[in-house]
Amino acid sequence: MFLDDLMRELHVQLQHAGHTCLKILFKMFKQLEKTPRTVLACERSHLDHEKARLGTHVEQHFFNHKVSLLVPGCDRLPAELDSALNSMRSFLLVKNLPLSQLLDKEFLEKAVYKGSTYGLSYQTRIDEDNCFALLPNGKLVLSVDKDTYETLGLEGKPSQYQRRPAGRYVVSVDLKDRTMSPGGKGHQRVLKALTEHNPLSCDLLLSQHLPGDESPALQSLLSNHKLSEHRPRVSTHVMTSLPCPTLVTSDLQGEQQSCDPQSFLEWLGAVDAGVTFEEESGGYLSTYECPQPQTVLDSAVRCSVTGLLLPEDIYHLLDVLRRSVLEPKLAPWLALTVHGFQDSPVSWGTAEHGFLSGGENFYTLVLFQNLDYWICMATGSHDACPP
Amino acid sequence: KERTDIKLKMPPAVYERVVVKNSPVYQYMKVSLVLEKAQTKLTAVEFKHLITTGLKSLYGEVGAAFPFDLLTFEEDTLTAVLRIYSRGLVRLWSSLTLLGFFQQQRCAFRVLQVSRTSSYTL
Repeated sequence: MFLDDLMRELHVQLQHAGHTCLKILFKMFKQLEKTPRTVLACERSHLDHEKARLGTHVEQHFFNHKVSLLVPGCDRLPAELDSALNSMRSFLLVKNLPLSQLLDKEFLEKAVYKGSTYGLSYQTRIDEDNCFALLPNGKLVLSVDKDTYETLGLEGKPSQYQRRPAGRYVVSVDLKDRTMSPGGKGHQRVLKALTEHNPLSCDLLLSQHLPGDESPALQSLLSNHKLSEHRPRVSTHVMTSLPCPTLVTSDLQGEQQSCDPQSFLEWLGAVDAGVTFEEESGGYLSTYECPQPQTVLDSAVRCSVTGLLLPEDIYHLLDVLRRSVLEPKLAPWLALTVHGFQDSPVSWGTAEHGFLSGGENFYTLVLFQNLDYWICMATGSHDACPP
Repeated sequence: KERTDIKLKMPPAVYERVVVKNSPVYQYMKVSLVLEKAQTKLTAVEFKHLITTGLKSLYGEVGAAFPFDLLTFEEDTLTAVLRIYSRGLVRLWSSLTLLGFFQQQRCAFRVLQVSRTSSYTL
């Protein structure tokens, strides 16, 4: 009798233990299914609508690495569009530039105060290295690790994404501020930090937009440094019999007959990556299909430009797109995707940007023939919500 | 009369904004395989089979039971674009990290980029 009781008790205990084990395993699997936060902000409006903020979104996305354009319904890009894509301005790569050079009186006068200058440290990783950016509004952003921050002696804020314990700090210096004029108090302090405390230097990508026809002075300003000029790289592909999802202008959420923005972005990505939509191995390799409802395009052209591309150039491209979309020969829409640099310290405006798993920050503009547009702005987990 | 003119000129579209959090059902990974003997050739089918084997050895039959797609594969560089359900991303990534052998030779996967679309900047 005693043994029987004991066995029963043991059985209950074992069942209980097994249950706990399963619970822990279940919890572990649930944890594994978590993915980093992502945000997708979509807007729909008309180019001439009073609330349309398309221009602001383009202007505020400072550091653009790649522009890809998809023009359905043609086998050659319209001449005007082709020239706009090929005429994106060239940029400079300055090797080992001391940051104190950016505070030089002549540099400030010719590059920072006049027109807009874009500068971004080259081949630095935002989650590991010191990254720097010179924004067109005259702000110099230093995203530095803790050790560098402590030796610099400049006032900054802990990074939003590496807060506990703070491993990264963001220092923002407004070069257009009154105290930052050459000889001013702030100017001297920052100059001292960047020359004596910690003489930081990096390879810097630089480009400048000047109002009117004035030619940029960057090359002559930095002539005593090792620099090279690069032209954006353009590549064009023509595709035939391309399955293409149907878009309905008024249906931004994909509730009626239209493809929803997320599926559309995925399809655009697949086209950009050169995915073939015909499965050859009986569904073993891929089950990806073009979203429904779909039509098959006879031909389409995709063109991509990579480099340090200025928002001003993209804005010009938008103007050309606006004229091109009205051509009756083309398909009812055009799609333009602009990718930001993954390791840029800012994404939109001065919003801090981080990496975590992807560092993606891009926007896709779909322009319809009636000049309605969709803009979808996507950011990864270490990023603010797009404006 | 002027007012009606203005109304006629007004574009018919409205302004609408939708913000979606954690929307992507899929995540895309660009990965490349580095082999000890660089001249080894792999077909797309072998490449996918290798990844599936890695998944099964780490998570077992049940843990690895989720589909993923091999969207593109370049045989010269052994670079591929994978599409995976967001909830399987961590499992796929970890099994790629721990995959160390292909046919008795050492190998390693490099994750080049992870994104919500396969439009890559690299």
